[in-house]
Amino acid sequence: MISFNVIRWIVWKDFVTELRSRETISSMVFFALIVILIFSFSFSMDQQAAREVIAGIMWVAFAFTGIIGLGKSFSTELQNDCLEALQMVPEAKGAIYLGKVAANFAFMFVVEILLFPMFVILFNLEVVEEISLLLLVFFLATVGLSAIGTLFSALTVQIRAREVMLPILLLPLVVPVMIAAVEATKGALNGDPPALYEQWLELLAIYDVVFTVVSFWMFEFVMDS
Amino acid sequence: MTIHRVIRKVQRFEGWFGGGAALCLIAGLYVGLIGSPPDYYQGEVVRIMYIHVPLAHTSLLGYTVLAVGSLWYLWKRDPIVDNMCQAVAALSAVFTALALGTGMIWGKPTWDTWWTWDARLTSFTVLLLILIGYLMLRTFVDDPEKEARYGAILAIVGFVDLPIIHFSVEWWRTLHQPQSISMRGVSISSGLLVPLLLMSVGMSLLFSYMLMVRTQLLYLDRLLHAKKGRLLSQFHLSKSDS
Repeated sequence: MISFNVIRWIVWKDFVTELRSRETISSMVFFALIVILIFSFSFSMDQQAAREVIAGIMWVAFAFTGIIGLGKSFSTELQNDCLEALQMVPEAKGAIYLGKVAANFAFMFVVEILLFPMFVILFNLEVVEEISLLLLVFFLATVGLSAIGTLFSALTVQIRAREVMLPILLLPLVVPVMIAAVEATKGALNGDPPALYEQWLELLAIYDVVFTVVSFWMFEFVMDS
Repeated sequence: MTIHRVIRKVQRFEGWFGGGAALCLIAGLYVGLIGSPPDYYQGEVVRIMYIHVPLAHTSLLGYTVLAVGSLWYLWKRDPIVDNMCQAVAALSAVFTALALGTGMIWGKPTWDTWWTWDARLTSFTVLLLILIGYLMLRTFVDDPEKEARYGAILAIVGFVDLPIIHFSVEWWRTLHQPQSISMRGVSISSGLLVPLLLMSVGMSLLFSYMLMVRTQLLYLDRLLHAKKGRLLSQFHLSKSDS
């Protein structure tokens, strides 16, 4: 059975480390700002062009910063052999997975919420009524990214060249999340009627459920030693 | 160390697969290139389909074998199943790349472009990326047991992901012609169907034959490494005694 205590302590531990070091969120936000800057240089956008591509830019920035956060999630556990300690937890390993997913989700979501106003200001977006739907898109896509990303963060942390292998393995697998998130974000930002893009929200929800279950199950095999 | 009983079985049957593959492919190529009429719309270009479609089918079949083998490995932890998985992944990657390549050659005269972000092209590209990622992952793990386990996890997650990737890119955009052979019946003429079926069977047999040979190769390689390790440790022991 899943121990809720383990989940709670993992989340608490990650939050406390983050509050004390402020490493993950600050590096993610700063990196995302640089990505936005690079994008606006390379496309030299006016307002019309920005509307077309902004959803794509947003999710590329979110995915890349997410990978930074996901990579740190388990590589910090290498210090002082914390990973071995986690492997020795006398409970089902799925609890560690769920705790890590919750913590990673929280970091990524906070970063997205912090960055979104930047996008609105820098690209002169008009966000009027669809903000709740947009938040739903962020929520669903971030659950998907962190569900599968946490599994691969744990998997790549014990191999050589892990900083390279995490994005190489993860990005092809999150193609559906990227497509659905970009299309739904585009729809919400353009103020389209929700019926036009709700199929993408359904796809995101299905992806979240499927990959939380599969990754939860596979995590046992990543952690056994 | 005795030869694994699976390997003994494989050695007994592999000749049949190789021979059958040669027969089917030669017959299929003859019918496809010489004995069949050109297509009404596509002309002679259609003939590359006799290679392209079987390659695509076989690579998907290969990925299915990889996923089943990976599940089996996680369940039974039999190293020879892992040798099979490693072999089938490399072969599927080659077949997928060839399918994409032949598809591009067909697409240039038919769609007038080498590449388009069509649904099936995109999902095959993602499939190729996952397979290459799988092969890369395996080279970056030092411990053979861990290498097998991590590879199996990636293969299973990727296999679950494939239909979702396919549907998402299908919704995203669609230009590829619909499948000609489906549950609803066959929508191509029999003159084209015969070489297609021959090539499909031949390609699957060829794939199985190559898989058998490569699995044996990887298995023997592992035995060799184990033996080398034992000899080295004996050598070091005898040196430290004297």
